[in-house]
Order: sequence, then C-alpha cells, then structure tokens
Amino acid sequence: MLSILLVVPLIGAALVAWWPGKTRSIASTVALAVIGWTVLLLTKFNLGEPGMQFVEDFTWIDSLGLSYKLGIDGLSLPLVALNSLLTWVAIYSSDEKVDRPRLYYSLILLLNAAVTGVFLAQDLLLFFISYELELVPLYLLIAIWGGQKRAYAATKFLIYTALSGALILAAFLGLAWLGGSNSFTYNPALAHALPLNQQFLLLGALLLGFGIKMPLFPFHTWLPDAHVEASTPISVLLAGVLLKLATYGILRFCVGLFPDAWQVAAPWLAGWAIISVLYGALMAIAQKDMKKMVAYSSVSHMGYILLAAAANTPLSFSAAMIQMVSHGLISAALFLSVGVVYQKAGTRDITILEGLLNPERGMPVIGSLMILGVMASAGIPGMVGFVAEFLIFRSTFPIFPIPTLLCMIGTGLTAVYYLLLINKAFFGRLSPQVQDLEAVTWRERYPAMILTGAIILFGFVPGWITRWSEPTILAMLQPPAIVATVATIPTLDLQP
Amino acid sequence: MEHLLINTGWWIPCYGFLGALLTIPWVTRLVRRTGPRPAAYLNILMTVLAFIHGSLLFRQVWDHTPYHLVFNWLTVAGLELNLTFELSSVSVAAMESVTGLSLLAQLFALGYMEKDWALARFFALVGFFEGAMSAVAISNSLLVSYGLLELLTLSTYLLVGFWYAQPLVVKAARDAFLTKRAGDIILFAGVIALSSMAGSLDFNDLYDWCETTNISMLTKTLIGLALIAGPIGKCAQFPLHLWLDEAMEGPNPASILRNSVVVTGGAYILIKVHPILYLSPFVNDTLIVIGTVTAIGATLVSIAQVDIKRTISYSTSAYLGLVFISVGANWISFALFLLFAHAIAKALLFMSVGCVILTTNNQDVTEYGGLGKSMPATTIAYIVGTLAMTGVFPLGGFWAFQDGFKGFWVEYPWVIGVILLVNGLTTFNLTRVYGLVFLGKTQPKTRRAPEVPWPLALPMVFLTVFTLITPLIMSGFGLLPSLDDISLFQIGSISLSSLIGFAAGALLYFNPDRQPMKFPVLKVQKLLEKDFYTEDFYNNTIVWAISQLSRIIAWVDRYVVEGLVNSVGVATIFGSEGLKYGTSGQVQSYFFTITVGVGVLGLMVVWLFW
Repeated sequence: MLSILLVVPLIGAALVAWWPGKTRSIASTVALAVIGWTVLLLTKFNLGEPGMQFVEDFTWIDSLGLSYKLGIDGLSLPLVALNSLLTWVAIYSSDEKVDRPRLYYSLILLLNAAVTGVFLAQDLLLFFISYELELVPLYLLIAIWGGQKRAYAATKFLIYTALSGALILAAFLGLAWLGGSNSFTYNPALAHALPLNQQFLLLGALLLGFGIKMPLFPFHTWLPDAHVEASTPISVLLAGVLLKLATYGILRFCVGLFPDAWQVAAPWLAGWAIISVLYGALMAIAQKDMKKMVAYSSVSHMGYILLAAAANTPLSFSAAMIQMVSHGLISAALFLSVGVVYQKAGTRDITILEGLLNPERGMPVIGSLMILGVMASAGIPGMVGFVAEFLIFRSTFPIFPIPTLLCMIGTGLTAVYYLLLINKAFFGRLSPQVQDLEAVTWRERYPAMILTGAIILFGFVPGWITRWSEPTILAMLQPPAIVATVATIPTLDLQP
Repeated sequence: MEHLLINTGWWIPCYGFLGALLTIPWVTRLVRRTGPRPAAYLNILMTVLAFIHGSLLFRQVWDHTPYHLVFNWLTVAGLELNLTFELSSVSVAAMESVTGLSLLAQLFALGYMEKDWALARFFALVGFFEGAMSAVAISNSLLVSYGLLELLTLSTYLLVGFWYAQPLVVKAARDAFLTKRAGDIILFAGVIALSSMAGSLDFNDLYDWCETTNISMLTKTLIGLALIAGPIGKCAQFPLHLWLDEAMEGPNPASILRNSVVVTGGAYILIKVHPILYLSPFVNDTLIVIGTVTAIGATLVSIAQVDIKRTISYSTSAYLGLVFISVGANWISFALFLLFAHAIAKALLFMSVGCVILTTNNQDVTEYGGLGKSMPATTIAYIVGTLAMTGVFPLGGFWAFQDGFKGFWVEYPWVIGVILLVNGLTTFNLTRVYGLVFLGKTQPKTRRAPEVPWPLALPMVFLTVFTLITPLIMSGFGLLPSLDDISLFQIGSISLSSLIGFAAGALLYFNPDRQPMKFPVLKVQKLLEKDFYTEDFYNNTIVWAISQLSRIIAWVDRYVVEGLVNSVGVATIFGSEGLKYGTSGQVQSYFFTITVGVGVLGLMVVWLFW
C-alpha cells in the first residue's frame, strides 16, 4: 500500500527519462497518479487508530540492522498529502520549454519519492537514507536550472544539508550503540534508559541537524541563496515540502525519542525560536528581492514550529502540524506568484517594480493572489495562516507566556514587510523600466489559484487538517498531562 | 417560521460576503461585455436582501430574551473553539443600521463612482466590508469579533488603497493597515491570554469568568490594556489615530461607511468587553485619559484642516473619544446613544461633502464658496447633519448629550465640561466649513457647480429625512426619556455650548471677506494642521528604529553569520593548500613526520594509562 507511493514516482521517473513521447504529460500523469493514491490512502486511513498504519516491514540488510519498514500515522499523513499536491503543482507550473526536460521531470519525481520515503520510514537508517537521497535531485535541480549564481547556491545547499545529514546519522548511530540495540527500528523506549547527559548529546546532534535544514538562525544562510537561485517550481518544493522534513524530524525524533531531555531543553529552545522568528522577520524587512523576502519569512515562520514543539503539549503539536501545512501552502502560493512576476517583468527587485496591479498592462489577478497570500501569511482570519498562528500562540502561551508574546511581534512584522512588498511592487503606477508586460495566461494563474483556494478552505474548516493528526499526537504525548486547557495558569502570575 | 428566522440569523452578514464573491467575474474581467455595473446591482440586491431579512428578524427578537447561535468551529486536543452569535434587539438593530447605512452608501456610490473603471472591485470590497461589519454587530465571541476586526483592517486597507496608482493613497493604505494592525496584534495577545485563562472566548463565559477569577491585578491590567488596544486602532484614538485622517484619500462612499460604521464597530467591541475592563481601575483611567485627549485634541486639529474631508474626519475621532470616556466611566448608555446618533449624522455629513467634492472636483475648503444657492439639497443635508451632530434639540446628538449629563453628573462632573467643550468646538468647526463652502462669493471652482444628479441626491435626501425623524422612531420604541426628566439646565447648557460655537463660527466665517484660516499664533496653527506632528513623531521613532534595526541585522547576517561560515570554508581551503606542500617525495621528511606522530601518540598513551 505505502510502497506504491514510492514505486509510482520512481517508475515514473524512469519512464520520463527513457520513454519516448511527451515528457511533461507523462510527468504530470504520474504526479496525478500519486495524488490519486494519496487520496485513496486518506479514505482508507483509520482515524481512530493512533499508531502506525499500513505497516510494511521487511529485513533489508540484516548485518547492518537495516530494515525496510514503512508506516504512516497522523504526523506523516498530512505532510505526505502536501508533498503529493505540491509535486504536481511544481510540475504543472514548470516552464514548458524547460531545458533537458527528461532529466528535469525525472529529478522532480525522484525528489517526490525520496521525500515521501522520509515521511514513511520507520527505520532510523531508512529515514537517513531517504533524507540523503532527497539531496541529490534537489542539488541537481538547483545547479542545472537555477539562476546566475546557481553553482554557488547549490553547493552551499549541498554542504549544509550534507552536514545536517551527517549529524542526524551520528545521532542515530549513537542512539543504537548506546541503547544497545541491534536494529534501527524506531523505538521510543530506547532512549529512556540512557542517562540524561547522553540523551542531551544525541538530542543536540539531532537538533543541530534539523536546525540546519529547517532552517534556524544562525544556520539559515543557505536558504535565501538557494531560493533566489532556484527556479520557481523548485522554490515551491523547497519551501513547501523540504523544510517540513526538518520540522517533522523534530516532532518525530527529537521529541519522540528523547522526551525527557526535550522537556529540560524546552525553555532554551523557546528562546531559540524567538531569535529565529524576530531575526527572520527583520531580515525580510531589509530585503529588496521578493524571493529573498519570502525566503526570510520562511525562516521566521518556521521558528513558530520550534516554539510549538518546545511547548510539547498535544495542542501545540496539532498547532505545529497546521502551521506546517499552512506554511507549505502559503509559501508555495507566494513563490508561484513571485515566479510569474519574475517571468513577465524580468526582475524581482521591489525598488524597480511598481504598479503591477494595473488592470490592462499589469497582472491584476496575480497581484490579487499575492495580496491574499501575504495576508494569509500575516495571519488574517478566514485563511489557514490565522488558524495556525492562533493555535500555536494559544498552545504555547500557558507554558511560555513571554516567548509567545515576543513571537507575536513577529506576526506584526510579517505584516510590515509584506505590506512594503505589496505597496512598492503592486501599488503605484507602472514604472518606466518595467512596462509592456506580456499578458499572464490563465494556465499560469491556476496553480496559485488552487493553492489559494486550499488556503481559504482550510481557514474555514481547519478541522480537516487537525483530525488526521490528533489521535496520534494525543497518544504520543500521553504521559505529560494535557496542560493546554487548564482554567488558571500558575506560570503566569506576573506579580509586580 | 420563528425558528427558521432565528436559525438563519447568521445569514445576514453572509449576504454581504456573497455579494462580494458574486462580483468576481467582473472584477477579474472575465465578463467584459456588460461593463462593471451588474456587479454593483448584485451587491445592492444582496444588501437589500440582508436588510429585509434583518427587519423580519428584528420583529422576532424585539422584546424577547436574546437568542444564541453556537457553531463548533474547531475542536482539537481538548481545545474547543466556537463561533457564537447573539440575536438580541440591540444587536439586530445594530446590524440593521449597518445594512441600512451600507445600502444608502452603495446607492450613493453608484452615482459617485459612475465613471470609475474599477466599479466592480469597489462594490466587491464594500460587500466584504458590510458583511464583516454586520457580523461584528451580532458576534458574541471575542474570537469572532477579533477575526472580524482583522477582516475590517484588511478591507479598509484595500478600500483606502482603491486608487492605488496615487502615491498618497499608497501611503495612506499602508498606514491604515499598520496602525490598525499594531492595535490588533496587542488585542490578539489579549485574546490568546483570555482564551488560556478563561478557557472560552464566548462573551457570556468571559463575564462569568470575571466574577470568579483570582488572577493578579497586574495580569488583569495587562489583559485590559490589550483589549482596548484593538478598539484604539479601530476607532482612531490617540495614539493610533493617524490612519483615519490619511484614509480620506480613499473614495468617498467608503469614507461614509468608515467614519460612521467601522469606527462604531470598534467601539461596539469595546462595549462588549467592558466587564473585563472593569477588573482593573487602571484600564478605566486609561480609557478616560485616551478618550479625553483624543476628544479635545482631535476637535482642535479639525479646526485647522483645509481638506474638507479631513475637517470632518477628525471630529469622528473626537466623538469616539467621548465614547471611550463613557466606557471608562461605566456609563454605557451614553456610548450607545452617541454611537447611533453620530453614525447617522456623520454618514449624512459625508454624503453631503461627497456631493460637494464630486461637483467641484476639489477638496480644499479655501477654494469653495457660494455653493448654498446652487446646491440646495446638499446644503440642507449638511445643515441637518450638523444639527444632528451638535446637540440641537430635538435631534440625535442632543439626546446623547443629555444622557451624558445623567451619567457623569455625580462621579465625573468634569466629563460634562469636556462634552460641552467638544460640542462647542465641533459646532464652531462645522459652522466654519459651512461658511467657507456654502456661503460667501463663488470662486472659479464653484461658479457653475450644479446640484448633484438623482443617484446621489436620492440616498442623501432619504438620509436627511431619516435623520430628522430618528428621534420620533426612537421615542416610538420607548427609547427616549420623557421630557419631564430633562431639566432646563441640561437643555440650556447643551444649547448654549452649541450656540457659542455657532456664533463664533458665524462671526468669523459668515462675512463675505472672510479669511479661510487665521490663528493668532502661526506656530499653533502649524501644530494643529500637522496633527501635533504625530506622523513625524512616528517616522522619527518607531519607523526609524525598525528600519535601522533591520539594516543592522542585515549587515550582521551578511558579514558576521555569513562571514563565519565563509571563514570555515576559507580555512579549509587554506589548510589543505598548506598541507599539500607536505607531499614532497622526500622519504626523510615522511620518516620524520611518522616518527614525530608515533612519538606524540606514544607519549599520550603513556600519559593516560601510566
């Protein structure tokens, strides 16, 4: 059942590479098939069952302790669905005259398979292998189809992420070795027996690894470069799905494997989240390149997830899940709109662009979608961004009141930088440098429109996201009592 | 039928949203053949439906205990979020006023925006606006109210930025969004805190929680301050008042709604949360101080303005300041009276001003004059609006002010002084504008100004008549006190303050050779004209601080964070470049290196295990 999610894109990649005929249509058919299979999975998924479902377990290399074990639960299901959706969006929004289409589309499908593998893997080593495997296609996609400084950006991305992978591998090996296990099967009980300082060591390595990928300050500098150089569909995948590998890893492995150490480290992590949130937001204000602005806003918004993870309550985990999906949809929509602007106007510099909302010679629909996107990102109600932010702050406030309030400043700053973007690039008169734009076709609008539709839909019925993950999260965080809904909070007694 | 009406009460705001959605084909120009007008008609139709539905509902809820509608929005991990609405005679009446005023404003807009190519977009935004505002009226949950405030912030941004090609508009839209957003974020913090502590955001549950809670005074105060921050932004109170003045760059029909209804929405939420505010006396004092500062300051500023819309918009801030005082002093009925009277009178004034602007294509009061003869309907509307604003018996403002007498006489007698002062100065200001615009000699821009055509005149005349008969309707519902309860002193002092204002205004501005603006001290005039230099103050403090901070951080990112990473790379390259000279091919040096290495390792082993 689950292997098909991996096999279909892999076969698809092979077909795209060697089957004669229309590469693009094969690729999008395969992507649609993956979406179809995901939908089937959604219908078959048992909502009442908190544990792993559709488990497939085969021994692969016995001497290494590596087994091919797949499973899906509430934490991974929404992200798998997001991955399937965004892969199709990326293929659909790719330039029809892209160079070397066979390689390009097969790499995207390969990327899809690797990412799905990361979300499904129930064996630590298998997780690591997929996590590293995902690097290769993405590196090539940036390095071959990127902008002018693509080699620099791709290499930087490669080095950072390889380091992240090495740290994760070290932590997994250390866990198996110290825990005295002879296999790498995901086992939450393993770390319980370890002394706290060993747990810290392993957790630290994992955190660094995922912190690089997420990215958190000060390991974020690869992200803006990679985004700026990557082409639009790759940015969509990078921001929409790839960053979620790290947040998923934090929820699944950092909290799941080392709950005791996590509990102790949580206040420091909340502090780290504040820095990341505010730093990303302030960086975004200083940017002139639209893509960089969106990239830094990702740094800022991923910080919320760390805050929620640090709070470590069922509610905060549900909030983190919503924020992952919400950020995936919103940043993807924003990158798509920015991509259209770049394609038509030839620049993303907001000091040059002006008046793009112009109804006849500008791009009013893309502009409107952009406005909706930035408003969703800034947390305007009626869209999924608001639900995510509300739940995150609501869940973290009882535990970290001051960090929560500081992170809320980040939401305010989101409005500041995005408003600067809208005001400069979309309001005003068309600037003399950028005029006579080619008209935007409906084809180019659809992907962003679909995502915006989803953003609004989930803004109205957020339960459609939370319902998948709630049982798993409740079961996962059983021991610490449900803290989120107490009537009076002892921690918030702000005596003068 | 009864149940049906009650259960469908929440539809009424949806009509507005639906109208906005229906305009999409015209906004995106999928439909070009018909022009944008069908979008406008659809929206007006939706508003009419909302109005009719609302009036049927009003008959149902009148003299009835409030009905509550509860919808579960999200239940996750033990947190239950409900959307609740209250259908009471007050809330439904407020919703009716919103839809009614929105209907008039839309009819007015049909004439006012006739030549605008983006008519469909305007109506879409107004529909959205109306939906959000009428939902505020029936919302019974802080969550819903907060969400709607944010939607209003968004739609204000888009409506103010409607003519986005003009630089001033762009700046106004940005300021409108950011100042309100600043208030909203602080309010958001309050919402989050209340949700965590009280466990529910329904107003009824919050009121119960207030009775029993034992949180510390500081927490109470902080929550109270957070809760008033949102309304401060929305009602354009000091220090977040900047946006309303700039928002006058937007189209006039939207200004009608903004100045009458949107500000009222903010105040309405303030009234809804007032039991929570009373947990802390400091919050009430803050409300009173903010209200007083805004009421007096904004009235003074309005006198120094030359833009006709701004002369009137500042008085909106001033009147809402009085509402803030009354909430702070726990005398809610004055707030409700004043909000209602102000909403109608201000809408009328803005319609009249809109007609003047449209006919003359000019907003500068110094270039007007003599319009009274050529534009009778507009003039009458202006006069009626002024009378209803300024406490002239027996129109709306008077009833509000006399209620203030009742409420503040014992505990806050000085507030009555503030009310009379604001009333007097407002009368002076409106008289001044009247003199400058409608009296005196004609000027080039007003010489051949005709009366406005019927699409504009019809809603304006209708609202004029409605303003005149409002007191009758209200006494029909038994809402006005009987005349016996009102002392001659009250009537006398209110009338006297209006009269003094009028006389001063008439003296200065009714003679044909009047000077538009003349203050004895130029510096004072500048100070007021520039709104006490608030904008400069913001530019030099918070805006400057954030932009500098982001620059510094950008520098740090570039040179420190990146620099560290790059230096690792550089160190690696140099290290390996240096090491490569080790491969010299000389056996002696290899042997030497091995010997030294083995020696060091051996020493370490000895050291460690001896």
